[in-house]
Amino acid sequence: MSILVLDEVTKVYEGKVAHLAVNLLSFEVEKGEFLAVMGPSGSGKTTLLNIISTIDTPTSGDLLIDNINPLNLPKNELSLFRRKHLGFVFQNFNLLPALTVEENMILPLTLDDQPVEEMKKKVKILAEQLNLTSILEKRPAEISGGQAQRTAIGRALIHEPSLILADEPTGNLDSKSAKDVLEILTEVNKKRQTTIIMVTHDPTAASYCDRVLFIKDGQYFNEIYKDDRRQTFFQRILNVLSLLGGNVNDLSTIRLS
Amino acid sequence: MTFQQFAYRNVIRNSRVYAAFFMASIFSVMVFFIYSMLMFHPNIEDQFLQDIAFNGMLVAEIILIIFTLFFLFYSMSAFLQARSKEFGLLLNLGMDREQMDRLIFIETMVLGFISITVGIFFGFSFSKFFFMVIREMFLLDSLPLYLSWKPFALTIFVFLSLFITISISSAMYIRKKEIIQLLKGNWRKSDDVEFTKWKANLGFGLLLAAYSLVIISTYHMNIEMSIIIIMLATVGTYYFFTDSILYLLHQIRKRKNLYWHRYRLIAFAEVSIKIRENARMFFVVTIVSTIAFLSVGVVTSFTTFTGQYRALNPVSIFYSSNWDNPFEEEHIMKITNQLQSDNLSYELVKFNVKKQTSSSNGEVVHLIRESEINSLAISLKYPILDLPAGKAQFLTDIKETMGNDNEQEVQTVLAESSVPIYIQGVYDYKLFPSFVMNKQTIIISDEDFRLINEPLMGYGRNESNITYYAFHVPEWLRTKNVGTDLVNIMTSSLATTNYNPNPFYFENPGLDYSVIQATFSLLLFTGLLVAAVLLLAAGSFVYFKLYTDLERDKKQYDVLRRMGVTDRELVKIVNRLLIPQFFLPWGLAMVHSTFSFLFLQALWVDLAAISIAMEMLLVLAAFTLIQVSYFYLIRWRYIAHIQI
Repeated sequence: MSILVLDEVTKVYEGKVAHLAVNLLSFEVEKGEFLAVMGPSGSGKTTLLNIISTIDTPTSGDLLIDNINPLNLPKNELSLFRRKHLGFVFQNFNLLPALTVEENMILPLTLDDQPVEEMKKKVKILAEQLNLTSILEKRPAEISGGQAQRTAIGRALIHEPSLILADEPTGNLDSKSAKDVLEILTEVNKKRQTTIIMVTHDPTAASYCDRVLFIKDGQYFNEIYKDDRRQTFFQRILNVLSLLGGNVNDLSTIRLS
Repeated sequence: MTFQQFAYRNVIRNSRVYAAFFMASIFSVMVFFIYSMLMFHPNIEDQFLQDIAFNGMLVAEIILIIFTLFFLFYSMSAFLQARSKEFGLLLNLGMDREQMDRLIFIETMVLGFISITVGIFFGFSFSKFFFMVIREMFLLDSLPLYLSWKPFALTIFVFLSLFITISISSAMYIRKKEIIQLLKGNWRKSDDVEFTKWKANLGFGLLLAAYSLVIISTYHMNIEMSIIIIMLATVGTYYFFTDSILYLLHQIRKRKNLYWHRYRLIAFAEVSIKIRENARMFFVVTIVSTIAFLSVGVVTSFTTFTGQYRALNPVSIFYSSNWDNPFEEEHIMKITNQLQSDNLSYELVKFNVKKQTSSSNGEVVHLIRESEINSLAISLKYPILDLPAGKAQFLTDIKETMGNDNEQEVQTVLAESSVPIYIQGVYDYKLFPSFVMNKQTIIISDEDFRLINEPLMGYGRNESNITYYAFHVPEWLRTKNVGTDLVNIMTSSLATTNYNPNPFYFENPGLDYSVIQATFSLLLFTGLLVAAVLLLAAGSFVYFKLYTDLERDKKQYDVLRRMGVTDRELVKIVNRLLIPQFFLPWGLAMVHSTFSFLFLQALWVDLAAISIAMEMLLVLAAFTLIQVSYFYLIRWRYIAHIQI
């Protein structure tokens, strides 16, 4: 069952020079899949993510999330749709500095006016899973980057959305924290069957996913599926990236295989 | 592009950012200039008026200067903080610190130059209007616009020095920061909310103590107490904002059932931070608003006094003449001639007052005929008396003085003429000036009055008679030219003693009233303008602070919007965030002023029987209205800013 369907999505930024950010992009994401989207800078990754996040609208094409077309929803319901179906993880964590770790995590639930007992229960379970129990009372300024990103993941998970959108979640982290975060995302993906779409630059991060989708200049370029070993998957990702980096045609002629 | 051009363009192209700042500082310059115009006016001949004009304006200007200095300093540092990334970039590109100082100096001076020029321009344009208002207040013949270098020089000198001081101190402000700090633009130390419990309790305690002292004072008035109360309240207010309110919010945040609820989570947390960061500003705003409310309230309460003046002096022109007064006819002729030449219609009631000894207490009483009282009562639209023979009524001196019930019903005999009268009740309308009234003035029926033909013991036939002339002039406010020479005689002879050496007494309430009213109106007018400047600036403080934090707030709202907060919910969150910032200092100022008014009211009762409750209610309501509209204005701007 597809949780996300993109059908020839195109986004043109009007202006003095019209810019084609996403061009006729179509793909599907299955329920419980962990998808990485890769591509060089300016390839339209962020635009794509914004469109899926429903905070940007495509110029043409269709989008289905959980069999709902968010493009047809009025503005207010669109917000409620995001609140219910989507969870976000950002590169800069974007935790609210005024709130403690615990409060940041329950934020989506308070907006939905859920009973306090329910929130307490959910936070407890999630904090244990994310290894945050000891720092629940701390503020974002007092915790490390890895802890902050785990808190952000907690915030994205707590209302059990059908789709988590992660924008470079390891971009601001050291390698150890990045590994932690990726392992947690994988675990969440496996145990909770949460669908995750992650935009990343980092081939190591991408190697944790089930599938990597490459885009270039807003267009579909390639996609590869993981195999048994993460190491070989990583190597294959690097191969595609090397193709992606330069002029594809040039490279293909040099590489005879 | 030269360096000067660069600085100039920085200001001019950011003019939208500086709009609120310009508005407040231009207004301040304008008011200052108008005041100086009045201060140096060459055509005010009246010494008295000149004194009020000069001193009143001087005090108002000093308040304005102090406040403007504070306001400018605060807003400049807020602007510099908002632009810190830009400064960091310039330093990064290799601008040296001296150039940075010069840049800030030139920019501030450009701002100052524009504010002063525009402010003086508007000030000069409005000063004719201001003079017209003053002329109307003092009923002067003319108060022309004049051109003199003095007000210009004073305004330019004062504000130029203000701006120079500010530009130097704000340059220092930037100087202390490292480039990396500037580039990050994040000057806040941490988002943790710190407070000390004992300070929090001290804040509550001091405020409570101050308020209790005020309530005690309403029973036992003690002027010296006011200093203690002011000190307690000031220190209490300070700790209230730095600690008490944070402690209170912390207590709420501990209760999850209360706190983990829709918008409260964000609102409470954010508000605690904003309050902690702005505690000192809130303190200043509270004190300033309290002073503004108070000054206007006090001055307005003076105008109540003038409102009650008419009730205390119903007779427009009063002349009383002793039996031995040789000027009687001459003076009355003069008064009537003056009234006629001023085209004032009038009704004259002549009272023949007789003195007799009352047998009940052996004191001299004044007797007035019922029909004469009635003819005045008809003119004044007071109720008419109908006394049968033998009955009488007291005539009050001032309302409320006849509280002693035992005097209300007296059976007595007017000893010399042996006329028995039964005095019942009081004619509770003040008719004549207290100065000429005998303690016991009695209204008797015409029949009884005719029977009094014996003079007071030990006096000749006519020697126990007094004549009152009561002029009722409907347009009593225009009588200020009538009997000025008589007023001069009265003031010169009554200035030193309480005893009237003249065989006559004259009073012209219209003239007295015009002086009192003009003085109070001028004070009110001045106070209102100063209060307007203070309020405008106090509101701008909140705006500047919001503006400084705009970048950070924008980011947060962006996250929230992604997370699925609808626009309407966002507005709700913004409301919960802005309302405390606007109405907390203001609310505390309201409570402060209410208690101050209570204190003043108690003080007033000791001085005169004037109630200022109505006025203070009006003043507080007016300020509430201004504050609410200001809130909506700023909320509108803020929401426009955060909605990308």
